[in-house]
Amino acid sequence: MIEIGHFALVLAFALALVQSVVPLVGARRNDVRMMGVAAPAAITGFALTALAFVALLSAFAQSDFSVVNVWENSHSLKPMLFKITGAWGSHEGSMLLWVLILTFFGALVAAFGGNLPDTLKANVLAVQGFIGATFFLFILTTSNPFARIDPAPIEGRDLNPILQDIGLAVHPPMLYLGYVGFSVCFSFAVAALIEGRIDAAWARWVRPWTLAAWMFLTGGIAMGSYWAYYELGWGGFWFWDPVENASFMPWLAGTALLHSAVVMEKRSALKIWTLLLAILTFSLSLLGTFLVRSGVLTSVHAFATDPSRGVFILGILTLFIGGSLLLFALRAHSLTAGGLFHPISREGALVLNNLFLTTAAATVLIGTLYPLLMEAIAGSKISVGAPFFDMTFIPLVIPLLFAVPFGPLLAWKRGDLYGAAQRLAFAFGGALVVALLVLMMRERGSAFAAAGIGLAAWMMLGALTDLFVKAGIPRVSASTGLRRLTGLPRSMFGTALAHFGIGMTVLGIVSVAAFGTESIATMKKGDTLDVGGRHLRFDGLRPQTGPNFTAQTGTFVLDDGSTVESSKRFYPVRQMPTTEAGIKTLIFSQIYVQLGDETPDGGIVVHAWWKPLVTLIWLGGLVMMAGAAVSLSDRRLRVGAPSARRARSAATGSAGA
Amino acid sequence: MFFWVAAALLTFAASLAVLMPLSRKAEGTGASPNEINVYRDQLAEVERDVSRGILAREEAEQARAEIGRRILRAGDGEAASKRGKGGAAFRIAGAAAVVSIPLVSWGLYAMLGSPNLPEQPLSARMTRDPSTNTPAELVARAESQLAANPDDLRGWDVLAPIYIKMQRFDDAVSAYRNALRLGGSSAIRQAGLGEALVYQSGGLITKEAQAAFEQALKDTPEMPKARFFLAMAKAQEGQTDQAASEWKQLTASLPQDDPWREASQTMLARTAPGPNEEQAQAAEQMNPADRTAMIEQMVASLDSKLRENPNDLEGWQRLVRSYLVLGKERDAADALSRGVTALGAGTMAAKQLSDFAAAQGMKVEP
Repeated sequence: MIEIGHFALVLAFALALVQSVVPLVGARRNDVRMMGVAAPAAITGFALTALAFVALLSAFAQSDFSVVNVWENSHSLKPMLFKITGAWGSHEGSMLLWVLILTFFGALVAAFGGNLPDTLKANVLAVQGFIGATFFLFILTTSNPFARIDPAPIEGRDLNPILQDIGLAVHPPMLYLGYVGFSVCFSFAVAALIEGRIDAAWARWVRPWTLAAWMFLTGGIAMGSYWAYYELGWGGFWFWDPVENASFMPWLAGTALLHSAVVMEKRSALKIWTLLLAILTFSLSLLGTFLVRSGVLTSVHAFATDPSRGVFILGILTLFIGGSLLLFALRAHSLTAGGLFHPISREGALVLNNLFLTTAAATVLIGTLYPLLMEAIAGSKISVGAPFFDMTFIPLVIPLLFAVPFGPLLAWKRGDLYGAAQRLAFAFGGALVVALLVLMMRERGSAFAAAGIGLAAWMMLGALTDLFVKAGIPRVSASTGLRRLTGLPRSMFGTALAHFGIGMTVLGIVSVAAFGTESIATMKKGDTLDVGGRHLRFDGLRPQTGPNFTAQTGTFVLDDGSTVESSKRFYPVRQMPTTEAGIKTLIFSQIYVQLGDETPDGGIVVHAWWKPLVTLIWLGGLVMMAGAAVSLSDRRLRVGAPSARRARSAATGSAGA
Repeated sequence: MFFWVAAALLTFAASLAVLMPLSRKAEGTGASPNEINVYRDQLAEVERDVSRGILAREEAEQARAEIGRRILRAGDGEAASKRGKGGAAFRIAGAAAVVSIPLVSWGLYAMLGSPNLPEQPLSARMTRDPSTNTPAELVARAESQLAANPDDLRGWDVLAPIYIKMQRFDDAVSAYRNALRLGGSSAIRQAGLGEALVYQSGGLITKEAQAAFEQALKDTPEMPKARFFLAMAKAQEGQTDQAASEWKQLTASLPQDDPWREASQTMLARTAPGPNEEQAQAAEQMNPADRTAMIEQMVASLDSKLRENPNDLEGWQRLVRSYLVLGKERDAADALSRGVTALGAGTMAAKQLSDFAAAQGMKVEP
C-alpha cells in the first residue's frame, strides 16, 4: 500500500506535467481535442493524489515505522485520532495534504466547469496543473513522505506534544482549503491574462471560489487562534506571531478580493484590479505556506541548514509571484476596463474597503518580513512584535470598520451618502447609547472601552439595519416587512451576517482588553483565589497517566460548585512538557486557569484570568463563515445552475431564491 | 507482485485519461457555451430585485440598459472557433503526451521508490513468530506485555539485564526497581540495580549504588559483582590501597575465566603503585588534557545536537554552562544568543535561558 501510494504520487506528477502543457497548446491552437485533455487529467490526478494520501494515512494508522515520516512523527501509544492527524503534522505530510486539496479543487473545476468557455477552462486547468506539477516535484525531491528505512525501528519518535490535539485535526485542513482555494482564483486570473480578455463568465466563477476559500480561511484562522489560546497557556488569542501573520495576510487580501469581485460581477468594473488582487492573494497564500513550512521563521540560518529545500522554495515563490506579476505587466493593458461609477456609490465604498485592506495587508507584510530581511542582510536579530502592529494596523482598520455599515446601504453607480446616514441614524444612536453606558460604568469604564464597544455595537446594529432597510421596515406594515425580509436574496443575508460577525469579534477583543482581569497566587489545597469577582477554591493536585504522557491535574471549585481542571503534562518520548489550561465557559465569558511551578513548601503557582465575552472573538469568526456559506448557497452564485428562473413568476421567485 | 500489477493498472488508467480525449473524433464536440447566458441571468436578477422592491424602477432601467450594451459587445467579439485539426504535428504531440506518462512515472519511481521493501505494520511485527523477530522487536514485545501487565515480575527480571546490554541505563534502573518492588530484595537484583546506576551516572559510584551493592553483599557475601564495584567506590574515594587489596582478594578467589576476575586484574594494573612511578606521573599529567579533550568533544556533540533540535531549553542551559566552565566566554555568549533565537525571542523559555545565563554571571542584554 505504501509503495502503491508512492507510485501514485509519482504518476500524479507525470499527469500534472501533461495537464499543464497539452491544454495550453490546445487553447492557443483552438484545438478542442487537446483542450479536452485538461478535465480527465485533472480528475485522474486528484484520484491518484487521494490514493497517495490514503496510503500515508494507513501507514500512520498502522504505525509502520519503515516509513521515515511515520517513524519521525508517530508513536505506537498515541490515540488513533492523533496517529491519523499526525499524518499532516509533519512538513512532508502537510505538503501532501496541500497538493491533495489543490488537485481536489482542480477536479471540481474540471467536473463542474461545463458552462465555461473551452479555452478559458483549458487555460485555468493548465495553470492549476502547473502549480500542481511544481509542488509534486518539490515533494518528491525534497520532502518525500514515502521515504523508507530498512531495518525499520521498533518505536517512533512521537509527534510534538503541542500538536497532539483535536486542533490539528481541524485547523490545517481548513487553513489549506482556504490557502489553496485562492489558487483557483489565481489560475483564473493567469488564464485571463494568457487569453488577453476577461469575459462575464470569469467574474461569475471567481466570486464563489473566493467566497469558499475565504470561508475556510476565516474558519482556519479562528480555529488556530482558539487552539493557541487554550493550548499555549498564556491566555492570549493573537500574538502577531509571523506564523499567524502568514495566514492573516491572505485573509486581508482575500477579503479585498471578495469585495472587488462583487463590483466586477455586478458592474464589470475594477476588472484589472480584481485580477491583480487574485494574483496577490494567492501569492500571499504561497508565502504563508512557506514561511511556516520552510523553517525560515526560526532563523534564516535554520532555513539555510537544508539548502535544497530552501532553494526550491525560493524558486517556487519567484516563479509564481514574479512570473504572474510579469505576465500581468505585459498583458494588463490589453484588457478592457469596465463600467464607470461615481465616487460615492457602492463601488466607491468597495474601493475604499480595498484600499484599506490592501494597505493593512502591506503593513502586516512589512512587519513580518522586515526582521527576516534584517537578519539576512545585517545579521542582527530584531523582533517586530505587538507594539508595531498595534500602532500601525489598528489605526488603519478603525476607519474601515466604521465605514462598513455604510457600504451595503449605498446604491450602485451613484449613491446618496446623506440618505444612507439617515437610515443608519438608529444604529448610530444605539451605538452611542451603548458607548455612554460603558463610559458610566463605575469600575473600569474608560474612553477606550467606550469607543471600542460603541464601534462593535455600531457594526452589529448597522448590519441589522441593512437588512431591515432592504425589507422596507418600518415604512411598510409588519407582515409585508417580514415577508420581504424572508424574501431577500441570500447573498444579502450573507453580507449582513459577515459584517455582524466582525462586530462580534471586535466586541470580544475590546471586552477582554478592557475588562479582563488576571490574578496569580501560590495556592495550597483549600485556598481560594478571586477571579473577576468569582471565587476559585483549589481542591488539590493529583497525578494522572495518559496513553503517552503523565500529568499533574489540579481541580478547582467555583462558587456554584462546578469544577475546572487544569493540568501539566509530560511527554517522555520527546521529553517535553505541555500545559492543559482549565477553561470554564460562562455564557460568552470564560475563566482560564493555568498551573505554574510547584513551590518547595507544597504549594503551586496558579495563574487565573477572567476573560469577559472572550468566546465572541471566535464565535464572530463562525458567524462570518456562516455568512459566507449563506451567500454561497445563493443560487445566483452557483455557476451552471439551470435557468429555471425564467419559468418562475415573480411571485414564486421571492420564496425560494 | 501485487505492487507491480497495481502500478501497471494505475499507469494504464492515467495514460487513458490523456489518450481518450485526444483520440476523440475531431468534430461533433459540444459548442462553447455562450457568454450571453450569463447576461441573461443578470437580466433575470434585475427583474427579481424589482419585483421584491429592492431596486427602484429607474435604477432597474439603467441596469437593463447597461447589461444590454454588454450583450451587444459580447456579440461582436464572438469569433468562429476552429475545430481540432489532424495533421502530423498533432499526432506526434499527442503521442508524446501519452507516452510521457509511463516514461516519467516509471523513471522517477525507479529512482525514488523501494518496491521490494514490504510493509511493516507494528501490530503484525508484534504478533508474528518470535523466532523471526529482531532482538529490538523482542524487547518491544516484552515491553508492550509489561505495559499491559506491569506486575509481571519475571518480565522485569528478564528485561533488566538486556537493557544494560543495550545501554538503555535509565530503563534498566527502572526495570530493576520494579523487580525489587515486586519480588523483594535479592543479591542479583540489588547488584544489578547498582550496576545500572553506575552506568547511568557515567561510571561514578553514587551513594545509592553503593547502598545497593552493600545490600547485595548482605544477601550473598561473596558476590563478585558487588565486591568489584565496592572496591571501585573505594578507589574513587582515594583509598587506592584498600581498593587494590580488595581487587587482589577478588582475583585470588575467582576461577580463571570469570569476567570479574579479568576486570579486577585490569583495575589492579591501573592502580598498582611501584616501579613505574614515572608512567603514573605521565598518566597523571596527561589525564587533565585527555579529560579536557573528552569534555570538549562532549560539548561539541551537544552543540551539534542543538543545531538539529534547537527547541530544548535544558540543552541550551547545559551548553552555556559548559562553555563557561571551559572558560570559553565568547562561545557561551554565542550559544546564549542562538538559544534565545531558537526558543523564540520573547518567549518564556528564552527568558528562562537568559535568566539562567545571568545567574551564571554572564552579561545579558535586557
